Amino acid sequence: MSEIDRRTFLKSASAFSALGAATALGGAGPLWAQTIAGQKRPDVIRKAIASTGEEIPAVGLGSWITFNVGNDMELRDQCADVMSAFFSAGGRMIDSSPMYGSSQDVIGYGLDKLGARDQVFSTDKVWTSGDGMEQLAQTEERWNIKSFDLLQVHNLVGINENLPLLFKLKDEGLLRYVGVTTSHGRRTEDVMAVMKNERLDFVQVTYNPIDRDVEEYLLPMAYDRGIAVIVNRPFRGGSLVEKLEGEPLPEFAAELGAESWAQLILKYLIAHPAVTCPIPATTKPAHAAENMRAATGLLPDDKMREQIAAVIGVLI
Amino acid sequence: MSEWWSYGLADFLLFSPRVYFRLFETMNTTWGLAVISALIAGAIAAGLAMRHGHRGNRVILVVLSLIWAWVSYGFMWQYYQPINWVVPYVLPGFVAEVALLAVFASRPLPLRFGWRGDFSSMVGAAFIGIALVVYPFVGLFEGRDLMQAELFGSAADPTAFGTLGFVLMARGTWRWLLVPVPLIWCLIASATLWVMDQEIAVVPLIAVWLTVFCCWLDLKNGVTTRRMTQAELVEPTD
Repeated sequence: MSEIDRRTFLKSASAFSALGAATALGGAGPLWAQTIAGQKRPDVIRKAIASTGEEIPAVGLGSWITFNVGNDMELRDQCADVMSAFFSAGGRMIDSSPMYGSSQDVIGYGLDKLGARDQVFSTDKVWTSGDGMEQLAQTEERWNIKSFDLLQVHNLVGINENLPLLFKLKDEGLLRYVGVTTSHGRRTEDVMAVMKNERLDFVQVTYNPIDRDVEEYLLPMAYDRGIAVIVNRPFRGGSLVEKLEGEPLPEFAAELGAESWAQLILKYLIAHPAVTCPIPATTKPAHAAENMRAATGLLPDDKMREQIAAVIGVLI
Repeated sequence: MSEWWSYGLADFLLFSPRVYFRLFETMNTTWGLAVISALIAGAIAAGLAMRHGHRGNRVILVVLSLIWAWVSYGFMWQYYQPINWVVPYVLPGFVAEVALLAVFASRPLPLRFGWRGDFSSMVGAAFIGIALVVYPFVGLFEGRDLMQAELFGSAADPTAFGTLGFVLMARGTWRWLLVPVPLIWCLIASATLWVMDQEIAVVPLIAVWLTVFCCWLDLKNGVTTRRMTQAELVEPTD
């Protein structure tokens, strides 16, 4: 689906867009150009974090590459617009890492601009073989936040030092959840070993209709052990949706209320019982809102999920 | 981090082409006068280096040193460092290049630049010409705005590329000290542009190949070791 089509869809769809259009007609600009204080956000599908039962919206926002815009104020404002659209559409979890260049600073800038500190489910990582505490202090400073909801050991780097550090922070009440991450299917066995031996709240892995290795062992294990699952690279860094652009959606997409390949993929992921929250990244406010809308309406059953994977497998 | 075999160059590039080329637009807009001044100074240095009479050697070296200082602080530190984790690791090399150029400029007999008519001179002149005139406008053919032009004297890639040209226009064994930093940067630039699917990635890579070839050729032909003639040793009035 082209950019124009996606925007057209959003303009014509449901309460979010209607409210945005009404606001625009009133001369106040689109919804995502304003602070989000006091806004009423739409209901979206929520999934429970097994270790506590707390429910969070089933789609989050990643920041890899897309939010690394340096000191360019125009691009920082565009990122803040993406965050605003995300929050306005009901999103909460934003994920970043010290590895992502200026992304943490840009998220901090967006939270300041939008006044959204009480809305965000803050998720970041520790990624160092050196002083993890020093890096975490820097991360907090960049987000301009006092404590995080979730901190993860990025790609298992310094796991023997950093995981105990995160558990210590959690025990002291300075952190709510602890996790580990991997991507691109790397070190899956090591991640599963950590899942088996440690009391993790979250694990973050790569999963999409093409990269399905985690379905076999990791996701069932996470489900059994009550570990919430964050999904990175749901669109393979955007390439999956780009390749599918222009291809007609399968007929059953309408049954699910999916109007784009991006939504169909996200619904595929959310429908897995072990998955808690995919975190697609984007540079466009309209796409952030569209992604969030995948967490509304019906989700595919097992049979339909297989059909989605099969169709996409054939098309790319 | 294990499983290094599974990592590709793209895994280490954490910014998009959109953000990368915006760096030049922002810098050109914000520092327009400094950017143009650096380009003009580079063009004057190029003119001096192309001459046959070994004049203006000290001016060339001072200009190049100032340009590298400006690129290091202006582009690399202020603009590129926030988005590219590689920059803090290579910046000491840029500072070393500034110092080396300043040292060469301050010697009683500075490095001597001039057209020799051999293959290395031709390659050096071509590098300088391309860095000054062609490289900034290549983006236009790829649909980028003119304001995103990468200019010699302010942007790192054409400055490194052009500096290799200046070195090839010089003579003397010690000039090779000026080669490693721009050469390594050209390799990094080529890899970065290649991962971003930019066809211009071949330009800095070709520059590396030709520079290494010319180094070998000059060593073989004795350009680096041959004693200078009395006429060449006469210090011209700059």
